[in-house]
Formats: sequence, structure tokens, C-alpha cells
Amino acid sequence: MELKDIKAIIDLMLKNDLSVFEMEKDGFRLKLQKGAGDQPIASPPAIVSPSPTTAVSNGPPAAVPPTTETTALKDIVSPMVGTFFRAGSPDASPFVDVGKAVTEETVVCIIEAMKVMNEIKAETSGVIAEVVAENGKPVQFGQALFRVR
Amino acid sequence: MFEKVLIANRGEIALRIIRACKELGIRTLAVYSEADVDSLHVQIADESICIGAAPSSESYLKIDRIMSAAEVGDVDAIHPGYGFLAENAHFAEVCESCKIKFIGPSARAIQAMGDKNSARAFARKADVPVTPGSDGIVETEKDAVRIAKKIGYPVMIKAAAGGGGRGMRTAHNEPSLLAGFHSAGHEAEKAFGNGEVYIEKLIVNPHHIEFQIMADRHGHVVHLGERDCSIQRRNQKVIEECPSPLMNAGLRKKMGNAAVKLAKSVGYENAGTIEFLVDADRHFYFIEMNTRIQVEHTITEEVYGCDLVKEQIRIAAGQPLSPHIAHPTPRLHAIQCRINAEDPAKDFQPSPGRIAFYYAPGGRGVRIDSHAYTGYIVPPYYDSMIAKIITVGATRASAIDRMRRALDEYYITGIKTTVPFHAAIMRSAEFRDGKYDTGFVERVMASDNFELRHAAGRRLHE
Repeated sequence: MELKDIKAIIDLMLKNDLSVFEMEKDGFRLKLQKGAGDQPIASPPAIVSPSPTTAVSNGPPAAVPPTTETTALKDIVSPMVGTFFRAGSPDASPFVDVGKAVTEETVVCIIEAMKVMNEIKAETSGVIAEVVAENGKPVQFGQALFRVR
Repeated sequence: MFEKVLIANRGEIALRIIRACKELGIRTLAVYSEADVDSLHVQIADESICIGAAPSSESYLKIDRIMSAAEVGDVDAIHPGYGFLAENAHFAEVCESCKIKFIGPSARAIQAMGDKNSARAFARKADVPVTPGSDGIVETEKDAVRIAKKIGYPVMIKAAAGGGGRGMRTAHNEPSLLAGFHSAGHEAEKAFGNGEVYIEKLIVNPHHIEFQIMADRHGHVVHLGERDCSIQRRNQKVIEECPSPLMNAGLRKKMGNAAVKLAKSVGYENAGTIEFLVDADRHFYFIEMNTRIQVEHTITEEVYGCDLVKEQIRIAAGQPLSPHIAHPTPRLHAIQCRINAEDPAKDFQPSPGRIAFYYAPGGRGVRIDSHAYTGYIVPPYYDSMIAKIITVGATRASAIDRMRRALDEYYITGIKTTVPFHAAIMRSAEFRDGKYDTGFVERVMASDNFELRHAAGRRLHE
């Protein structure tokens, strides 16, 4: 590879707005990077990232407004469609409350679907910051149940 | 009549079903994947529930989540549309056991006609002609020669365990039959561990003609004429028309009666379609039955003046066939072009993405069934059809002229679509003459004067 080849590659990168070029051939390796930091060579096609909508609304689905908190909060979202219950039975105390520490294996709630009570695990660790879903109300796939700090 | 229906589908057919429900005063519940949150049918439905991630296997095919949504939404019935779970006998069974009406035939009927061998057996029993073939495995050369002579050349030698076009050979005479018999067997042995073959008549460049069936729960079964779906590309339908330019009254009566007889013999209920192949000598052969509403139901609706989706819902609710469907009267001629998000200039490569500008044609005799709109992002996870354009005319020629005019006004920018491809077909002499078969698209695209034609009026969307 000669300098003129490298200049040609840089030209092509600028023309086509590429940030990184990497090649390897016969033990020779070349990496050219525009600007600072890791940037993808091509951004993936824009797929709509939906904000979770409220389940079974009587009007058109309303979007839940994005949280204004800092990035420290993680959502525990529903992996299924069903009815959300905070406790294992009507007289039992809730599995978790605000302030409770959870690990991945902690059961945080029950989602009832087709008469089957499914125990839902936190699948994250931290402290419950907010109970988002309403006890006894339907939830849909992807809907936020709890926020964890 | 039902109070609430869950639509277990997406895209244009979900919109179609919701429209029919709304006209009947039925509340609608749409289930959708995360990729479809901005889909038009979700916005128009009275209620909606997200049932999973984008891939169909994670959402539209998840029977448990759909049934949960049905329970949470307290629905009376589920319309499965086409594709996805529409011909899934197990899903129909689950609905039955949950006491939610599946808008379609019984699980038993779906099972009976879903299996190709079972369907052919029912057809034979009902005296409906099927593609001639050997009654089972062909063991020896001698048998092969005898059977091929009986069926008549050309024939197709097919591996019993075959798939993906492997272990298949065509034979136009005895020498090629013998060669094919052995090579097909060997290929099958190598690929599938089973060298058994059978023989079927090869129908060269057939017409694909299907009959629409409607059956209520009181034993009334009728057919609403035929649709010609011969215009296909890689075995996918692209253009359909009603009636078929190949049909005459005598053949329609024979095929229609055969279709009704077959549907009756399996105790069919609701909408269905019986597919036939018709050869150059006007012999027809049953190939399969689709136990659901079809993409091209629209052209039958335009010609016979009916709403097949509303009728499906009425039948499921226990009502008898509506008089205008029980005694169907065809008028007019209708053509449908399927608009896909594909680039016809690049071998129909898929073209998902954001629709920058969308304007659909209108005017006399133009119908658009589409969930597309300006700003809609066509997701890459599902089939590429974004619209169906249907034109009607008093004659076939006027329906074609109308389609030609309408396609010239169909502006979709930001993604590539097959509009220019259809516009070129509408100008092809072979199509206008009505003398086409399943080999048509390949032939016409290879011809010299085939040119993609783009809509005019650039200023509108710049």
C-alpha cells in the first residue's frame, strides 16, 4: 500500500462521510478514524423505539411521557400480557415496596394470564425507586412495572 | 352480534377488519408488536395491547399472549386475518376452548384442508379433478414408464421426502424420464436420506384460477366466482383480476360446482378459497384450499358488490348468508395491483424505511387498501406489501385504463415501491390482450420494450 492509496481512501471516506475504515491483508493492517471516539461506520436503519403506552385505554393509546430523572433509573418491564398483582394473594403483603433492595432473582410481582399466576423476577439489581403499574390492572408487553435505582 | 373483536394481525388487513367491525358497531382491540406502535391500525382501533418484540415469532405468532390480550380485553371473537395464525388449527382450537369465537372455519376443517395430501384425498372423494399423478411411490423404471405414459408427458419426478426444489426433475419423453427417475432418486437419497420418488403431471405455464367460497353455519355454501392470479413473480402473486379473461360460462359453472361440492364435503364454514390450475386445453385441477380470507378478496367484492369481511363476522355471529351473497350477481371487471416496498430496478430488493411523502390516487372506480401514510416507517420485519390498489370498470379494458391512470398519480417517496413495475405491466400488450400465464412476468421483464414507469408531478413532493 502506498501513500497515494491511503490518500485515496481518506478522500473516499470524506466524500461518503465515513468515520472509520479498517483493513487487513497479508499481515498488513490499516485503520483510519475520523474525529475522536468510536463511531459506527453506518448507522443502523432508524427503527421506531416506542415509549410504552398505557394498556387497554378507552381512547387512542397515550404515550407515557419520558422520565425526566437522570439515567440512574432502570425499568422493570412486563414480559407478557396479563393482570398485574403486587402480592401473591389478596391478603398477603406486596412482594416489594419503594426502598426494597432487589437482585436479579427477586420476585417483584405476579402477572396473571389465562388463570395462571406468573412470578416475575426483577432481572436487575438495585433498590425499588417507584411502583409504576397499578395493582389489579392489565399490563401489556414492554410496559414499565417498577423503576429501580 | 359480537360486542368486541380482537384483530390478531397487522398492516392493511388489520385496518380492513377494523373498518368492517366499526361499520357493524363492534368495538375493536388491536394487538401489536413493538415495531408497529405507530401503525395506522393501532391508532384507529378503540383499544390496543402490545404483545411482544418486533419479530413475528415474538409477537403475532405468540398464541398465549394473544389469548391473554383477548382475556384482558374481554373480547367475544378473534379475527385472524391472513398469514400468521389464520390457518393454524391449534390456534382455532385454543379459541374454541376459551369460548372465544374464531372468525373462520372450524379447527377440524383447517386441519383437513391444511395438509396437501389430505386435501387431495378429500378432492378425489368429491370427484374434483386433482393433478394426475402416481398413487404413491414409484418403485421401478418399468412402473415409471407405465405411469408417465398413462398421465401423459410432460411429467415431474418428485422426491417424496423432498423440499426446496431438490430431488425434482422434469421429463418430456421416455429417455429423459429414465434419466430423471434415477438422478432425482440419487439426489434425494443424498440430500434427504430417502430416494423414494413419485410422479406428477407437469402443467406447463398454467393459469392459476381460484374460486371464492362463502359458507354459513346453516349449511348454505355458495361460490362468488373466480379470480385469476396467474401473474406471479417467484410464485408470489402480484396482480389479480376478476373475472378471469380465460373463463367462459361453462367452465365457470363446472369449476364453481366442484369448489362448492368440496367445501361442503369438509363441513366448511365462513370464507375460503379453492385453488385450481388450468391448462391450455381448459382442463382444471385442484391444487389446494386456503381456509381464510385472502389478500385478493377485494376484487371479488368490487365485482359482486359485497363486503366479504363483514360477511365473515356475520357468519361467525351465527347469521345466515346475506341475500346478495347467497345469490351473487357479478357486474363490472376489477384488477388489483399489490404495492410492495421493493425496488423493481434492483431485482425487487426490499426497501423498508420512512415514507417521506404519500399521496394515493382517487376518483371514480379506484379503491386503496393501505396502512401507509406520510412519515410512516415501513418496518423490515414483515412482508413488504404496503398497499393494494384496486380499479373497477364496466369492461376489462376500462379497468386497465383506470389502473394505468391511477398508478400515474400514486406518489410514494422516501422508499422504493413496485408502482413503476405495475405501471409498465398495465402498458404491456400481452397483459392487455389477456393472454398471460404464470410465466408472464419473467417473459415481459426480459423483453426489450419493458420500462419502469414513474409517476409524474415531481413538484408535489420536493
